[in-house]
Amino acid sequence: MSRDSRRVVITGLGVVSPIGIGVTRFLTGIRTGRSGVKKITSFDTSGFQHANGCEIDDFVAADWIRRADPDDLGRASQFSAAAARMAVADAGMPAEELRRRRVLVSVGTTDGESRDLDTLTARQLDAGAEKLDGRTVRRSAAGRLSSGVIRELGLTDVEAVTIPTACAAGNYAIGTGFDALRAGEVEAALCGGADAVCRKTFSGFYRIGTIAPVACQPFDRDRKGILTGEGAGMLLMETLESAVGRGAPIYAEVLGYALNCDALHPVAPDLDSLARCIALAHRHAGIKPADVDFISAHGTGTRANDVTETGAISKVFTQPPPTISIKSMIGHTMGAASALAAAACALAIREGFIPPTINHNVTDPQCGIDCVPNEARSADVNIVQNNALAFAGNNAVLILGRYRNGTPA
Amino acid sequence: MTLTLSAWSALSPYGLGREAFTAGVRSGRSGVTVLDREAYPGPFDRAGLVPGFTVAGQLGRKGTRSMDRLSGLAVTLVRQLLDETGADAVTDSDEVGLVLGTGSGSVQSIMDFTAASFTGKKPYHVDPALFPNAVMNRPAGQCAIWHRIRGPNATVAGGAATGLLALSYAARLLRGGHCRQALVGAVEEYSVQRAWLEWHARSAGVDPAPLAEGGALLLMEAPDEAHRADRAPVATVLATRFMAFDEPDQARQVLANCVTAALRSAGVAPEAVEVVAPLGAEGELGRQEERATADALGGSTPRVVRCRPLLGDASAASAAFQIAVLLATARPDGRHDTGIGLVTTVDPHGVVGCALLRMAPGPTSTASGSRDG
Repeated sequence: MSRDSRRVVITGLGVVSPIGIGVTRFLTGIRTGRSGVKKITSFDTSGFQHANGCEIDDFVAADWIRRADPDDLGRASQFSAAAARMAVADAGMPAEELRRRRVLVSVGTTDGESRDLDTLTARQLDAGAEKLDGRTVRRSAAGRLSSGVIRELGLTDVEAVTIPTACAAGNYAIGTGFDALRAGEVEAALCGGADAVCRKTFSGFYRIGTIAPVACQPFDRDRKGILTGEGAGMLLMETLESAVGRGAPIYAEVLGYALNCDALHPVAPDLDSLARCIALAHRHAGIKPADVDFISAHGTGTRANDVTETGAISKVFTQPPPTISIKSMIGHTMGAASALAAAACALAIREGFIPPTINHNVTDPQCGIDCVPNEARSADVNIVQNNALAFAGNNAVLILGRYRNGTPA
Repeated sequence: MTLTLSAWSALSPYGLGREAFTAGVRSGRSGVTVLDREAYPGPFDRAGLVPGFTVAGQLGRKGTRSMDRLSGLAVTLVRQLLDETGADAVTDSDEVGLVLGTGSGSVQSIMDFTAASFTGKKPYHVDPALFPNAVMNRPAGQCAIWHRIRGPNATVAGGAATGLLALSYAARLLRGGHCRQALVGAVEEYSVQRAWLEWHARSAGVDPAPLAEGGALLLMEAPDEAHRADRAPVATVLATRFMAFDEPDQARQVLANCVTAALRSAGVAPEAVEVVAPLGAEGELGRQEERATADALGGSTPRVVRCRPLLGDASAASAAFQIAVLLATARPDGRHDTGIGLVTTVDPHGVVGCALLRMAPGPTSTASGSRDG
């Protein structure tokens, strides 16, 4: 099959999120506008004036991880391995069949095994560097987030890559899976992102004044910042031919994506550069701005992000479509964020609704968008744009579409 | 689409740039030296440092106050490649991507940042200027800012296989139409923190090889792009391939399968491989790697070039150095029989990988990658 005619579809979703583990619970969560906020308990928060976050408190690794030894995996790798197993099961693909295929596993992350690195730092301060635990050290390398997936699934003919491109990493991982399938390089791709709440990232964001005291309120006039979250989203992707051949239900088609870099500021986003990335993604996917039914925004709930991001959207769209942020519900899950958002987009397409932006009172006039406040909206969703921005000026925009028989959407 | 490597450079224990690396590996002299134990306490007394490297020394004081060693090495490596290629060719562009391999970013910066939260009077008494250093995509981002590289900017990680994974990722970017050129490679810094983590990570009983720092960077593009810019290709990438194993005793079989698959997809006969650059780790996995290559290449006995005994263990930068050593030791008269080189790796966490390159005929070691020098 030629490159141009090879279409890529999503047939399986695996979700570990603060508002539910598994696709069904996650879907209920984003449909009913559930909030995952609670007090952070994974590290000692004494000394911080406020410490809310979106942790997952009902994840038991042994319930999900069957083949790997959970103790050989850090928390983020447990999330990615569990989500990958769920995605394969959700796609109705027997593990033996996946093992017969050539596979790409790509996992985006911001912090890698940050929880273990926190633990190692504390141990080192306490007892000295010579007393670090070898097993914890070995599992703390970033590469483990993807190689843990192949271990859990027992894959052999597989390329496993971790993509630590911070908070845009999930879209990066999905994008490279799309490229690999379209080029006929692999026969299945398991792609997404994973991160665990950690002290390092919380204290960094707290120090620069971007942690919200109570709730995350993207695009709200009174927004106070982000809440750090955790989890993993993994997508099983295959070619249309493969999905149709095995009679698999299709969530959505991956139409294209774009990446670019501001190359300007280490942390502040740039409006023009993001607008360029959005336009590039449209071109790559072969769509026009008017085709987009809603935008799943990066929408962190900081002024710097929300004003810049909506500004970039206004630059590309004559009339911006509804623009929502699931971070209002699940917090900022860092490298998992755009992967979980992509899973939400796929569900929105299949189920015909737009997820809400919760905790919303008054829209910031500087943002000037319809953020689908507080309650999900029924809608015929054909094309969705999933934005992701990261430290270092890294932008990644993914375009998903409803799968239609015949010509591409 | 066939992709070519049309320039390369390295920062290594032999110093800055391609010439220093080439002269070093050709001399067979070790780049590992005795560490200044005041500056570098920790479990090792020797290491392969980039000699005399300091961030401010290389890049000046302006804009480098909060730049850590890893980012400094990365920015310098990119500068080195651009200088040796003709800088204006690829900077200030939306069409150039950067794919940089890392182990786990700067573990020194990350753990220092967290330590400040533990030891400060308040847990948020951390230095905000250092926060970005505690995020793994910092070096790639710094390279982009410094050299105005506005195309896709990606960081990849995968243990010893990192450099090959970066090559494979960059190939997908190019084939997917996301950029016209990609700068691709991997970097590691030497730090006391990395030294401790590496020391604890190694299996008991394995002789701890000294650590190396630095990295190598390649300019990858389609042949017609190279031709249009009048850059003479130094090599063609024929294949990259990866596989995985569960138990260490399967590494030999799985790597042999992996190399065989790469040869088959490239349409290269096993006996055509002229030179092999293995990871060459100490202990059982290193022996398995050697046997796997012998299995896959049948009875032939290609030349073997090893950089680990010369540089030390470069961790996530290892495979990038292995590619560089292939390019650096290509025969200077260019009279290859086939010019086909094989890079192999075995990571202890169950990943194997390989790349097949065809070195271009013609001088690759003494002349610049650019025809007009």
